[in-house]
Amino acid sequence: MGKHILEARSLVAGYDGNAIIKGLDLTIPEGKISVIIGSNGCGKSTLLKTFCRLNKVMSGNIYLDNKPVSEYDPKEISKIIGLMPQSPLVPEGISVYDLISRGRFPYRKLFRGMDTNDFGAIDEAMETMGIIELRDRTVDELSGGQRQRVWIALALAQQTDILFLDEPTTFLDISYQVEILDLLGELNRSKKTTIVMVLHDINLSVRYADYIFALKSGNLYAEGNPESIISEKLIKDVYGLDCTVITDPTSNTPMIVPIGKYHKE
Amino acid sequence: MTDLNYGFKKRALRWKVVVLALFIMSLILIACELCFGSVYYPVKDIIRVLLGENIDGVSYAVNNVRLPRMIGAVFSGFAFGIAGYVFQNLLHNPLASPDVIGISAGTSTAAVFLILVLNIRGGVVSLVAMVFGIVTAMAIYRLSIIKGHFTYGRMILVGIAVSALLRAITSYLLAKAAEYDVGSTMQWLSGSLNGVQMEDVPALIVVVVVLTFVLISFTRHMEIIPLGDDFAITLGINTRITYSIMIVVAVILISFATSVTGPIASVAFLSGPIASSLAGRGKSSLVPAGLVGTVLTLGADLVAFHAFPVHYPVGVVTGLLGAPYMLYLLIRMNRRGVN
Repeated sequence: MGKHILEARSLVAGYDGNAIIKGLDLTIPEGKISVIIGSNGCGKSTLLKTFCRLNKVMSGNIYLDNKPVSEYDPKEISKIIGLMPQSPLVPEGISVYDLISRGRFPYRKLFRGMDTNDFGAIDEAMETMGIIELRDRTVDELSGGQRQRVWIALALAQQTDILFLDEPTTFLDISYQVEILDLLGELNRSKKTTIVMVLHDINLSVRYADYIFALKSGNLYAEGNPESIISEKLIKDVYGLDCTVITDPTSNTPMIVPIGKYHKE
Repeated sequence: MTDLNYGFKKRALRWKVVVLALFIMSLILIACELCFGSVYYPVKDIIRVLLGENIDGVSYAVNNVRLPRMIGAVFSGFAFGIAGYVFQNLLHNPLASPDVIGISAGTSTAAVFLILVLNIRGGVVSLVAMVFGIVTAMAIYRLSIIKGHFTYGRMILVGIAVSALLRAITSYLLAKAAEYDVGSTMQWLSGSLNGVQMEDVPALIVVVVVLTFVLISFTRHMEIIPLGDDFAITLGINTRITYSIMIVVAVILISFATSVTGPIASVAFLSGPIASSLAGRGKSSLVPAGLVGTVLTLGADLVAFHAFPVHYPVGVVTGLLGAPYMLYLLIRMNRRGVN
């Protein structure tokens, strides 16, 4: 597996002519877990979608190994960059195994069935996400947490070096949130997969991230490892929230404790 | 431990068995369509005629009536089946078949206008109808975008409205037209195999076979499309180009088949869902949908011809099948909501 440099240069992007990302320069740290944080509407999802070619670039560009992504063959990029979207559609009546097999699309050839590489990649993806037992169940009958693991397994079957996840823990109970993030952490350690995700929970972000990008109204407010950038000032500036930063007793990472209106001294 | 892909292989086998069964069923129905008519001819006579022998009475009926009728049913049914499946697949909804969302109505209106108002006949009519079908598809898509946002659910509703509008225009044109012209427009309006001529047959076969192969080359794409555009793009599909090709090919199939047999009601609408429930949802149901289209059309034609004292056109029977399924979908959608 090769190493890849993915970066945004003077990136402006948005919807319907409205720029939401307003001139960003950033490089995704290779082989690490990065989390993009910021308040609602700050452009986290837009940035992630633009990296994954779901959004048009208005000016500037996304570069993969010093070449604009728009100049690649889409099939070639789909072997390097994978995505778990925020709300994928669940096709009716499809089994877990068949759904995960869709991740092999970039590798498949016209009029040919799946080969041993394809089956191997699917088995490995199911094993990594711990869903081998579910393989012949239909996706509609799974719980939210199981379903989320199936979607990630689909992205893993794609065997990309870089994996984006758009809020992979939304709508999940706290135990499933931690379970999904633990699995992603293991994936990053065992395969050196570069992981980039948008998360809403700052404390979980800080705990699992090697690197944090904090966005504020379409600009990069701060970046760096959590210990060096998370501060009361950052939370105030990015989220407009008063808080106290303490040390997370279980992971020794910074942990924010919101203050709110009724708990001021 | 058994292989992890045991279930997958079992499902793939089921798909193959279903395709084979539908194929055999088509062959049986083809034989019935050739043997049974106003008079019954035994299979051995049919085969002798098909091999070029001349048998009094039989030769004329088979070569001029039953053969074109059978080929029309086989290929139009197949075309409606796969075109319907393509639309339902692209729009993520079983309601989104071209005969429900106005594409078929668009081709019919254009054809009726050409025949009745401009007095044009022949191949030009099919060509213009085809172009107008594509224009209708584009118009429905455009009208479904409100404030820069497109939703599939809205496109279906817009399509149903456009369909009603186009049907009203067609009725108006018919009401204004001279009576003797109306006959030749009928095949654009109601599905019937009665008018299929031997000279229509070669073009129909070529178009359906070639375009079927074009669509088969997109079957892997059709397996990804139901997951939504985000996955489609991430997995390397150029959505704009792929969707455009699929829609244009499907519209050509629909208009071409319509120009030969008329819009045989509900075949496009029913074939995909029937095929998916038979063959499973692990693989694309494109080919099974085409075969179901053929079986439905042949079967409905036999029923229409033999089950009643009057010989109804095939579209009457297929239309009867479509209505309850439409009702079922609407009730289900009401419960689960539209995406």
